[in-house]
Amino acid sequence: MTATAPILELHDVTVAYGRRPVLWNVDLAITEPCLFGVIGPNGAGKSTLLKAALGLVPVVGGYVRFFGAPLARVRGRVGYVPQRETVDWDFPVSVMDVVLMGTYGRLGWLRRPGARERELARHCLDRVGLVGLADRQIGRLSGGQQQRVFLARALAQQADVYLLDEPLAGVDVRSQEQIFEVLAAVRDEGKLVVVVHHDLRTAAEWFDRVALIDMRLVATGPTAEVLTPDNLRRTYSGRVELLEELGRAVAERGRTP
Amino acid sequence: MTAATGMPLVAAAGPIGGLSYNTLVVLAGVATVGFAAGVAGTLALLRRRPLVGDAAAHATLLGVGAAFLLTGRRDLPTLLAGALVAAVAALVVLVFLRRIVRTRDDAATAIVIGVSFGAGLALLAGITARGLPGGAGLEQFLLGHTAALTAQDALLLAAASCATVTLVAVAFKELVLVAFDAPFAAAIGRPVGLIDTALVALVAVMVVVGLPAAGAVLVTALVVIPPVAARQWTTRAGRMLLLAGLFGLAAAVAGVLASTLRPGLATGPLVVLAAAAICFVSFAVAPERGWIWRRSRLRGGEASP
Repeated sequence: MTATAPILELHDVTVAYGRRPVLWNVDLAITEPCLFGVIGPNGAGKSTLLKAALGLVPVVGGYVRFFGAPLARVRGRVGYVPQRETVDWDFPVSVMDVVLMGTYGRLGWLRRPGARERELARHCLDRVGLVGLADRQIGRLSGGQQQRVFLARALAQQADVYLLDEPLAGVDVRSQEQIFEVLAAVRDEGKLVVVVHHDLRTAAEWFDRVALIDMRLVATGPTAEVLTPDNLRRTYSGRVELLEELGRAVAERGRTP
Repeated sequence: MTAATGMPLVAAAGPIGGLSYNTLVVLAGVATVGFAAGVAGTLALLRRRPLVGDAAAHATLLGVGAAFLLTGRRDLPTLLAGALVAAVAALVVLVFLRRIVRTRDDAATAIVIGVSFGAGLALLAGITARGLPGGAGLEQFLLGHTAALTAQDALLLAAASCATVTLVAVAFKELVLVAFDAPFAAAIGRPVGLIDTALVALVAVMVVVGLPAAGAVLVTALVVIPPVAARQWTTRAGRMLLLAGLFGLAAAVAGVLASTLRPGLATGPLVVLAAAAICFVSFAVAPERGWIWRRSRLRGGEASP
């Protein structure tokens, strides 16, 4: 069984904040390394899904497995990029300091990062195109640069699975392109990259597989098979303001194979 | 009262600069307290919980009074032990209000401060009114009064301060990690709740240790003001920590020295005024973040990054 265990498996996962359930009975198993998008409207529970997988919010029903094991046993193989707004960017740390935090999991409590960790951090910064800004205070970066710092920190975790929460929110077009290219390269190294994402157009363009979420799992599978007008309508039902974007996205997808 | 404790404020035959040996030891002890308060305060500020110490501080008076009533003793270790118990109890109540009764953060803090401080004042007033032997002078803990400290007291304060600084130095990397990005810290398996509890406990200890120097009402200032001033000068957490410690040390020394000028002068307000002066200067002249710097940049028409 372990030989064929999915990389990430959510089995019948239900999450509630207080008494209000925000995710119902999600069954999801990702068996192959790929670029995987978690798509859905605001408040659909996309971020909650990642947090539940990471044990950051209590799961009231079901279970989560990475490589067939509970997270606590394989933590070193799982990288995480939280939403950018969760931190105070006026915090007195440099870009290098933040990327080095990615090595803390391996270092443990008492060891401090040394030359090897700095070398790794520099390499990760290079991959996201920020190696020249290593000594800059993080508040003096653009939104896209901040997002890439977070990505570099996750790369420094040297994980096999990456969970990213809205890594493209508030990001300029150039950074967006750059971030997707790095994520695709990570996937090409045989790793699983799970991305919570809100933009349907770029979703259709970049993701190999997607899951549509609206408090429940609406559909999951290869992107082209899942992002159908019917599925999108079911996911975004009753959200009039999104109909236009939806129409555009579907039209776009029709033109590209 | 100071005469009763047998400690001359200004010894004519003092060894250095007219200060007695005892005063010098007290000065050194309080300097260590100032340093440690700035260090612990830096982490509390970075974790965006600067007021945690305030709730603990206001409760200490109740602990001081209770310790005196229960033991009948008024030596510093006994009274500070009582203060620490009260401070921790106040923090437990704070957590209870927030988590279980679901009171807003600021409202819960205000409730704990008001109730515990009021109870403490009432208790001390009762002790004074009854004229219990040795009860006079407990109100020194309201505003701080280092003149009454013995060299032995100062050594106790210095030891507790050194322990705090050592703990922060050892756990610095983890404390900064949790302060900066708690969800990430939790995701890599760090016990965020435990680290937060340890931080709050450190602040509580520093508030209690700072009591003789600054008093229950003002000791929070010693924890909050130096880090705020230090942040003006640097964009690195490590340097901020060191600078906040030095600012706290300077404020404590200045306040204690000023209080020796006149017998019966409370130390707390002087320490806080010294800290405020450092903070004001930092706000004004620090490069990048100071008023003067920012104004001159605006006038020079230089584009900000």
